Amino acid sequence: MTRATDDVIIKTVSRIFTPFIQIFALYVIMHGHHSPGGGFQGGVILGASFILLVITQGLDKTRRRFSQKLDTIFCSIGLLIYSGIGILCLILGGNYLDYSKLNKILPVIAAEARSLGILGIEIGVGIGVMAVMYSIFSDIVTGGE
Amino acid sequence: MEKFFLGIGIGLCFLVLLCLYRGIFGPTVLNRLAGISAIGTKTLVILLLMGFIYDRVDMFMDISMVYAILNFIGTLAVAKYLETKGEV
Repeated sequence: MTRATDDVIIKTVSRIFTPFIQIFALYVIMHGHHSPGGGFQGGVILGASFILLVITQGLDKTRRRFSQKLDTIFCSIGLLIYSGIGILCLILGGNYLDYSKLNKILPVIAAEARSLGILGIEIGVGIGVMAVMYSIFSDIVTGGE
Repeated sequence: MEKFFLGIGIGLCFLVLLCLYRGIFGPTVLNRLAGISAIGTKTLVILLLMGFIYDRVDMFMDISMVYAILNFIGTLAVAKYLETKGEV
């Protein structure tokens, strides 16, 4: 499962296809409040693009671009963005994840601050889900070494 | 036009049942894999037809694109697994 495939069609198609999947995942994350999707769904698509790379190009070649250390860092950054925005709202005098209190530090009205807060949460969730998906897949594939 | 899309959708649902038969009772693993993959493709078209019927094709377009991507990756993963196990 971890070595590269020898089929030239699958290799070429996946190499051309992966950037488009990632762009589409970013669109799903950023456009989540107008259309179906959001942080979790976009993160799953972003993780699926890396899983496609592992299946077709091999685990070693993928890890050269996106190492396990970087994966752990991304995982922590996603969680940090999510809980950081939540606790920031707590510090500014609201409830946990009460985004409208963010207008004390942002130069916008309360409704816009709520929209921006939700966008920040979705970016954090997307990064976290992507990193966790990839790490679960690579753990299963390698037997946890 | 709505009746036309509805008729095509019901016809595709019937074809999904035929593919499901091949997926359940298929003699070999490869027949099952092809049947499941065909069901995914038909579901994609049914989703788009639902979008035309409800007049919100921009929303259903996103869902069907995600479905197509995940169907592609899933079929590839199962094929790679079978190749690794040496069943084919």
